[in-house]
This record gives sequence, C-alpha cells and structure tokens, in this order.
Amino acid sequence: MVEVKKVDTEVQLQFKVPETDYNSILEGENVVIETLHLNFYYTPEVHALKAITIKIPEKKVTAFIGPSGCGKSTLLRTFNRMNDLIPGAYLTGKVLIEGQDIYSNNIRLEELRKKVGMVFQKSNPFPMSIWENVAFGPKVNGITDKSLLDEMVESALKQADLWKEVKDRLHQSALDLSGGQQQRLCIARTLANKPDIILMDEPASALDPISTGKIEETIEELKQNYTIVIVTHNMQQAARISDYTAFMMLGELIEYDKTKTIFTNPKVKLTEDYITGRFG
Amino acid sequence: MKDRRISYFRQKGDAYIMGTSLGLVLSLLMVAFILGVILVKGLGFFWPSDLLYLQLKDGKHYLGEVTDREESVRFSESGEPLHIQEVQLKIGNRDLYGLDFVWIDLSDVVEQTYPAHAITIERLEYGNFYGFPQKVRWGERQWEVHHPDFPQQLRRLHHQAVANRKQIARLEKQLNRLLEPLSHVERAISLLEISPEAQTPEGRRKMQQLEEQIRQLETAIREPYTRLTRQLESRYQENRQLVLSLITADKQVKEIPLEKIVRCYFPNQMGFFQKASLYASKLWEFVSADPRESNTEGGIFPAIFGTVLMVLIMSIAVVPFGVLAAIYLCEYARPGPVVRLIRLSINNLAGVPSIVFGIFGLSFFIYMIGGSIDQLFFSSKLPEPTFGTGGILWASLTLALLTLPVVVVATEEGILAVPQANKEAALALGATRWQMIRKIILPNAMPGILTGLILAISRGAGEVAPLMITGVVKLAPSLPLDTTFPFLHLDRKFMHLGFHIYDVGFQSPNVEAAKPMVYTTALLLILLVVVLNLIAIRMRNHLRKKYKMAAF
Repeated sequence: MVEVKKVDTEVQLQFKVPETDYNSILEGENVVIETLHLNFYYTPEVHALKAITIKIPEKKVTAFIGPSGCGKSTLLRTFNRMNDLIPGAYLTGKVLIEGQDIYSNNIRLEELRKKVGMVFQKSNPFPMSIWENVAFGPKVNGITDKSLLDEMVESALKQADLWKEVKDRLHQSALDLSGGQQQRLCIARTLANKPDIILMDEPASALDPISTGKIEETIEELKQNYTIVIVTHNMQQAARISDYTAFMMLGELIEYDKTKTIFTNPKVKLTEDYITGRFG
Repeated sequence: MKDRRISYFRQKGDAYIMGTSLGLVLSLLMVAFILGVILVKGLGFFWPSDLLYLQLKDGKHYLGEVTDREESVRFSESGEPLHIQEVQLKIGNRDLYGLDFVWIDLSDVVEQTYPAHAITIERLEYGNFYGFPQKVRWGERQWEVHHPDFPQQLRRLHHQAVANRKQIARLEKQLNRLLEPLSHVERAISLLEISPEAQTPEGRRKMQQLEEQIRQLETAIREPYTRLTRQLESRYQENRQLVLSLITADKQVKEIPLEKIVRCYFPNQMGFFQKASLYASKLWEFVSADPRESNTEGGIFPAIFGTVLMVLIMSIAVVPFGVLAAIYLCEYARPGPVVRLIRLSINNLAGVPSIVFGIFGLSFFIYMIGGSIDQLFFSSKLPEPTFGTGGILWASLTLALLTLPVVVVATEEGILAVPQANKEAALALGATRWQMIRKIILPNAMPGILTGLILAISRGAGEVAPLMITGVVKLAPSLPLDTTFPFLHLDRKFMHLGFHIYDVGFQSPNVEAAKPMVYTTALLLILLVVVLNLIAIRMRNHLRKKYKMAAF
C-alpha cells in the first residue's frame, strides 16, 4: 500500500490514490479557492498537509471529512491564514482565492480575513453586548455610522436566524445567550463583515441536536449567497448539507467528489471504509 | 489494625488541614494585634486626660497627665520584697523643667487630687503647659481667675490674639511679595559686582541703571510699605499686650502670650461629651493642619498630601509603561531566550533592595536628567538647582521604577488569561493586531492591570528608603500643589508619612513626647494605603462585572 511518489522534491505520499478529475466533477462551477501542492508544517518534523491540490466551487457547501488529526482544520485555516498565528509553522505551494495567491506579499491580511470569514468550533462571543459583537467586524473595518451599523447588525442577525430571539435585548451581554444562540451569533458576526467565503470549523460539534438542526438550516439558507467550507466529524451532517465532499487522512487528500458520489459510490476503498464506519 | 488507622489518618490529612488553618489563624491574629496596638496607642493620644496633682513627702509638687503605670518588685537591704507602684506623669512645661516626663513612686505621695481649675495649654512652642491660671491681661485691663467673666474673657482674648497672629502672617506675606522685585534687582547688582564686567565702562553703566531701578522701585513701594508695616506694628503691639499669667504646681509664675496658645481647657471640669468634641477637634487638627515643634505636635496634613500626590504621580507613570511592556512581551515579542531573559530580569527587578533604586534615582533622574534640565531651561538660577535636586517628580519616578515589575507581571497574567478563542475571533473578523489588543485584550486584561496597580500602590506608599535620597524632607516649606502658576510644582520637595514616622520616632529631640504621634501617623499610613487600595479594588470589581467571562 505504501508507495513513494514524488511531489515537489521531497514530499512522499503514503496512499496511492487516483488523480481527481476536477474538470468533470466541477463542470459548470466557478472555482473560488484553489490550492496547488500545498504542504504545511507545524514544525519541520510535523508535516500536517501533504501536497494538497483541491478546488472549491463558488456558492456551494464543501465539506471536509476525515478522522481526527487528518489536517482538515489545518487546511481550512490556511484559507484565511489563521495558521500565521502559530509560531514556527510554514508551508510550501500555493493557495489561490479568486485566482490570487493569498500568501504573496501584496495581500493585506485584514482584507483577506474580511473576505474569508470564519466560524469556530467553540462559540466564542466577545464579553460585550450582542449588538457590539455583531458590529465588531464592521467597526474594525472602519464603519462608524451608527445607523448604518444598526442596519448591518439587523441584517446579519436575520441571516443567521437569530434576530427574532434577540431583537429586544441587543444591548445585553452576549454571554447570557444559550450555546446554540451563541454559535449563531458568531455566524452573524461573521456575516456582518459581508464575506464571500465562510469557513466553518466543526460549527455544531459542541451543540445539542436541536441547535445543530438550526445551524444546519442556517447553512442551507446561506449557501445561496456564500461559498461555504465546513469541517465536520459528523458524516450524516456532511451528507445532509454539503454539495461536495473531500475526504482526508494523515494530511493527504484521499478523495474529492460530489457528496452524493462520495457517499454512494466512493472510488477509493479507504473512503468507503471510513464512511461505512470500519475505522474512524 | 492500628497501623492501618494511622495510615488512613495520614491519608485523609486531617493534621495538615488543621496545620493550614492554624497558620491562617496565626497570621490573622498577628494582623489584628498590630492593628490593635496601633489603634489603641494612636487614637488614645488625642483624648484630653485629667490632670493629677501630687504632693510628695519631700515637699515637691507635680501636676500632669498620667501616661503610664508600672508595678515592680524591688528588694530592700534586708532582702524583703517591696512592691512598688509607680506612675509616669507628663508634667509638660518643658521651658521650665527641661523634662516632659517624671516617674513617681506612689508610696512617696502624701496627697493626690484632681484640682478643678488646673488648666492644660497646648502651645506653639515647648509643648504642653500644665498649671493654674491666675489672670488674663490686655494691657492695663485684667481679669482675675475668680472673676465671673474670666472664662469668657480668656476665650475672647485668645480668639483675638489668634486672629491677630493669622493676620500678621498674611501681612508678612504681602510685605514679602511687595519687596520681591527689589530683591531681584539687588541680586542682579551683587552678581554684577563680582563679575569682571563691573570694571568696564559698560558694566558701570549697567550698574547705574540698576541703581536707578532700585530708586524707582523704592519710591513706588514706599506708600504701601509704610501702610503694611504700620498695620503689622499695631498687631504686634496688641499681641504683646495679650497675656495669660499662670502659676505652676511648684509655685513658679509664668506668663504666656495668648497668641502662642493653640488651645486651652480645664480637663478636670469637662464632661464626657465636652471631651469627645475636643477629641474630635484635635483629631481633625491632626489630619488637616501643618506640623509644629519639629513635627512632634500639630498635624500631618502635608505628609498625607505628599504621600497621596506621590502615589498618584507614580501610578500615572508606572501603569502606561508597565502595560506597554507587558503587551509587547505577550503579544509582539517572539518567544525565545531573549524574551525569557527579559522576563527573568523584570522578575528580579522586583527583588532589588529599594535603596538601590534610590541611588539609581539620585544618579540618573536627579543628577543626569535633572542636571541637564537645569542647564537647558533654568541656567539663570544656577548654581541653585531647580530640577537637579530631589523633588516629588523624581521620587515618584524612582518609585515607578521600583513598582514596574509588579505591574508588568500582573498585566501579563491578565493578558494571558484572555481566551485564545476571543483573540482568534477578533483576528478572523479582519481586526489588525493592534485593534485586537485594544478592543479585546486591554478591556479584558483591565482587572489584571488594576491588580498590578493595587500591588504597586501598596508597595509604593509604604516605601521610605529610596525617597529619603530623592526628595522627601522633614519639613517642606510649601505643598507641591498650590495656587501659583504652574500650580503643580514637580520640582518641590515634599513630606511623606513613612518618612514622617521615621523622623518623629527616631530623629526628633523629644522622642518620648512624640511616641503617640508615631502610632497615629502609622495608623494613618495604613488607612491611606487601605483607602487607595479600596478605590482600585472597586474599579476592578466594576470592570470584572462588565467583562465577565461567563463561559470560562
């Protein structure tokens, strides 16, 4: 099974998998995110992503699945350069968003992160009021007009399906909300920045089934207007909400296809074993 | 079986729990004991105590306040134990007796009474006077002690004399201000006389100009000058005529000018409430008035003021620097050996003896920076230094340096306590690093910063050693804050409670009389630190409520 395959100069891949034919899978789609031979190292010894080449289509939900430690969150975090915060980490290869290399020097990090929003695994509202939480993004991006901010807060909360629940207590602390509400608040906070792409890192893994259902509904609605990349442990969730699925293992991209194809007719045996629960 | 029971006892650790609680109880007891001693010894000082009159076997007479009692056992020549009871009497009248206190063996006493007409007089000089009033005089008119008007007249004339004294002080100040321009010109003349320029024709012309200036000034101020001096003279004369004459316990006659009396009262005639109101007024004098008698009497207001102002300036200096340093260390500096070394150095800085900081302040702030400031901006006053000598600014900055590590460490802890998730969220929303620090880290770290400030205040307010060489004095002629421009005089020397305690307790000419003052000042210093801390703690709690971290 283990085979040595040369990518770049030094990367050795463990798994022998067939080439993904993106042209046929993504026919008629507009590619927004693209990585080329992306290698990511936490330290020179910890090689977290190995020669990942992937294309993500616009205004669709793409799910990353795989066992813990397979690098799916790491891959997600390369898209808005959150990995920059980790001291000593580095990568080789390219990440293109709308055709632009986001790791080139002329990219403004704040602009990128405004365009590529992120929702984290654990809801992390700021210890401020609900209104201030949602307005945080627009404010740091230079919007000061109160009525405009009010408008943006309302529209973001409506999109995140939270407006009805909180409209009477916008100026109370966000920490008084329930777990599910807090997570939807975080989604609203991301939406207030008017991003093109939303990265979601296991957004429902800490929530109960009812809250999870609400989040999924929200995602369903959001995909009309946004490109969504979601990392999830929950295969049913991936099957329910995503249009495309990437299966990763030990830092490698094993298989990428339409969700329906992956879950009904995977090409690689490893994927099939994982989906059917033989390991994972 | 027994073994198992013992081992179970050790496992459960009851003994250790008891040990820890014992430790806590001991420390609490010690704190309570210290506070108790200071409270009792300090606050008792202002209570107007009764005057005891003693007549001894050998015909000596004493009048004074009982300050201490002692019982001791001595052995007679035949070896029999003798129980001896002694009282310590504060007999005052330092100008007559030289000593304030005597110990008297009660077995020598033939008569003890509390005479109703014994008077306690607090004076501006020489401490208290105890005796019996004879008459009060205003020039030719006089009232004997048995005259029904005597108490009333005494009070009225005393007020008059005190009012005169205050008026005299005001007039003298006016006079000084009037003469000030004159003294400037005179100074310029004397400077010119010793300079080589004086011999040149140019110098002589200048000298003539200056002399002309003096003549003009003199004519200009002649009229107000004579008016002021005449007013002063009349007040002086009136006060010379206002005299209280008394007789001491051993029949010496003493005349005290009324203006020298701070307050006088008959303690043996006073009821509880009269004494209580007098006590309150004495306490108020203590916290609000200037010191007298080389600090052993009067109030300590300048010291309170100096301490508070110094702590404030120190806080203003130390917090921004400490917070900036902590932010840099936590958020910007790349972790590595250099940062570890810096952190280690900062922690070690907290352990450097404070006198070392004092020496540093003297050499760096006062001689280097202060000296340079003098050269640049105050060269006309040299060789008299302005900033090149100890002052409240330099003392505060030295203390700021001393307390910097405390603030840095506490702030760092506050910053590290901010959840990583919140920082990431802010960055993911497109905030720059600085925006993240300002909007997320700083508000959330504020309680930590205030904790640092609280610790800094506690340490800074009680420090004495570095202050002694950077600007604290025994007696400052004026407060560092007043109504003349530029209002806050950072170059002035100041008084400080901690130094005051040291000075009064160990450097004053009359240590025994000053002892209660030491306790009261210590009490006030503790109180001040507590109050400053309470303010900071309230602020911290308020912020904690605002930025509570519910999920963590």
